Amino acid sequence: MKEIIMNAIQKKQKALSEYDSKRVLSDVGVTITKEILVKTKDEALKAAREIGFPVALKGCSAELMHKTEYGMVKINLHTDEEVERAFDELVSKGMELDGILVQEMVDGDRQFVIGLTRDAQFGPCVMFGLGGIFTEVLHDVSFRVAPITMDDALEMIEEIRAKEILGPFRGSPAVNKEMLAKALVGVGNLGVKYDEIAEIDINPLIVCGNRPIAVDALVVLKQLPK
Amino acid sequence: MKDLTKLFYPTSVAVIGASEHILKWGSIIISNIMAGGFQGEVYPVTTSSELVYGKKAYKTIAEIGKPVDLVVITIPAHSVQSVIEQCASVGIKNAVIVSSGFSETNEEGKKLERQLAEFAHAKGMNIVGPNTMGMANFKINLHAMFSHVRLFAGGISLMAQSGNVGNQIMYWAEQQHIGLSKFVGSGNEAVLRCEDYLDYFYQDEDTSVIIMYVEGVDDGRSFMEAARKTTAKKPVVLLKGGRTSIGSKAAMSHTGALAGSIQIFRSAMAQCGVCMVDTQSELLTLAAAFDSMPLPKGNRVGVVTLGGGWGVITADECEEHGLLLPPLSRELMAKLDERLPHFWSKGNPVDLVGQPDPQLYKDSVEIMASSDLYDAIIVLGIINSFKSVLRLYEAAIRLGKEVKMDFVEMDKHLDGMQSAFLDNIAELMEKYEKPIYPVALISPPDQPVIHRSEKKGKYSAMIFKTPEEAVKCLAKQFRYAAYLKKLGRL
Repeated sequence: MKEIIMNAIQKKQKALSEYDSKRVLSDVGVTITKEILVKTKDEALKAAREIGFPVALKGCSAELMHKTEYGMVKINLHTDEEVERAFDELVSKGMELDGILVQEMVDGDRQFVIGLTRDAQFGPCVMFGLGGIFTEVLHDVSFRVAPITMDDALEMIEEIRAKEILGPFRGSPAVNKEMLAKALVGVGNLGVKYDEIAEIDINPLIVCGNRPIAVDALVVLKQLPK
Repeated sequence: MKDLTKLFYPTSVAVIGASEHILKWGSIIISNIMAGGFQGEVYPVTTSSELVYGKKAYKTIAEIGKPVDLVVITIPAHSVQSVIEQCASVGIKNAVIVSSGFSETNEEGKKLERQLAEFAHAKGMNIVGPNTMGMANFKINLHAMFSHVRLFAGGISLMAQSGNVGNQIMYWAEQQHIGLSKFVGSGNEAVLRCEDYLDYFYQDEDTSVIIMYVEGVDDGRSFMEAARKTTAKKPVVLLKGGRTSIGSKAAMSHTGALAGSIQIFRSAMAQCGVCMVDTQSELLTLAAAFDSMPLPKGNRVGVVTLGGGWGVITADECEEHGLLLPPLSRELMAKLDERLPHFWSKGNPVDLVGQPDPQLYKDSVEIMASSDLYDAIIVLGIINSFKSVLRLYEAAIRLGKEVKMDFVEMDKHLDGMQSAFLDNIAELMEKYEKPIYPVALISPPDQPVIHRSEKKGKYSAMIFKTPEEAVKCLAKQFRYAAYLKKLGRL
């Protein structure tokens, strides 16, 4: 994990790619999507079959912080043909990529966000909140100064206004709060351990059944003074 | 940790720049110290007169020739440095610099303040300010400050990063009979910072509750550490001024943009057990509640009310603030049935259905307070309701009816009855170690929040103006109690 971060710093990256961000997060206890980074179309097909359809394909690069806006995300691909077509489209954009990320599709109505920010006065702080397209509008988030304990994490989960949707919801079981709390503790520890990390965003974190899974993630690095 | 004992408990005080110009700082401070009843030595220092308010004035600090525990400096900024150096040369360790014209003004002022701070650090001097309204210790009648308040000595110590916020709180405390222990306006915090005062109040035995008005802290983590240590021992009530989000625009991620600085500040305070409030009046009310009542051990509330509506409003407020209203047990029901008229509500809230009979109230409050089912009792509508009866007589008299009643005597009698009721509340709080919140039917503007009893008990009854004020206060006390419980300290 340290290697990933240090490599990125050396290469003067502003952030880690989605793939690297998730590897770092997975290391501290965040459950992430099944995904494989590939270079060729054949590898993409093999990966898709291994993960199981439907899959998503994403252009993967540290420079690509807003993939969707650049059309670098193709979702709900059900067949070999769809995967092939998506692969071609992503590559044809002519962007410099680390590779193409083949990813499982995670199905769930409940979306959350987990983040890390650095406050000028208090240093690294963990955030938990309602995710998805309404994150900015509803502003339903809670914070803790890191590091945090499992108890702190469970408490901050209960603090959002929409906490009801953590319970049984439209036929889905209650969210596994232990998993959520473990992810929050891990993100806080990353912030405390690595000064090099400026911010972290896990958005969305989709609840599949009762399991919260990081579907997209971004680790932003501190900019060294020039 | 810095030793601020002599700063807050001096036996001798010198005022540099003392004068009799009533509206100027040099007079405001020394007249406040002398008229305020300070029992220690007071030395005016000035070159412009021989006497100040009848006391011999000294030309310099060195001329005093006796130990001085504390100096208060009111001279212009550019002369402060040399005076501080003189103080250091005669071994003075504590100074309050009232003078403005330092870092709050311009580059020149910033330079002066840096020089001052470096000197003080090198000499180990404690300096309050500069640019402060001063400090006070009400236990020893020391009023080395702007506000000429005269209030009860109590357990609440107040630290304000704004002098006028401090002034306003102290004047309210005076009106409301709320006792204070100490006040300090931290000013520019060139040397002593808010964490230092917090540290001192933490170990000060005359302080049982701490009020802080804070606009910003330099080092959030060291403030949290000081706060965490303090709240494990005594409550800290804090109001944060300036609720803008700095730096969020520069953030690259969603998380950064969502992090308003006030929300992080709130979370940080909750993490270290600090009770945050939203208004100045809540600051004082909550501190007074901590100082004059036992802590609620849980969140189960019993309500005694003079009418249904009030009980409903209070029940709503309780639920919205995370408090519970458990139903009465069969035994409680039986006990209340024995005492109350048959038409009472038979539930919690215990509704006395418009019977402002002090004895009924007294009995019901005690029955409820004695029950293990409840952690706190709210008593609605009996306070000041006795007096509303006088208006009925006044109306009858105006309509020509002859009434044989001495209104002055009656007024006194009703006051006595109310006073006895409130004394009883204080006694019940001590007997059952449970807070009781009386809410007034009518709140005359001159009625103090704290009922001061002739009998000196452990607690004092407080009078709340509205059900929501009582519930808000109770909810925050409960949250603090829950925090202590989590630490295993309750």
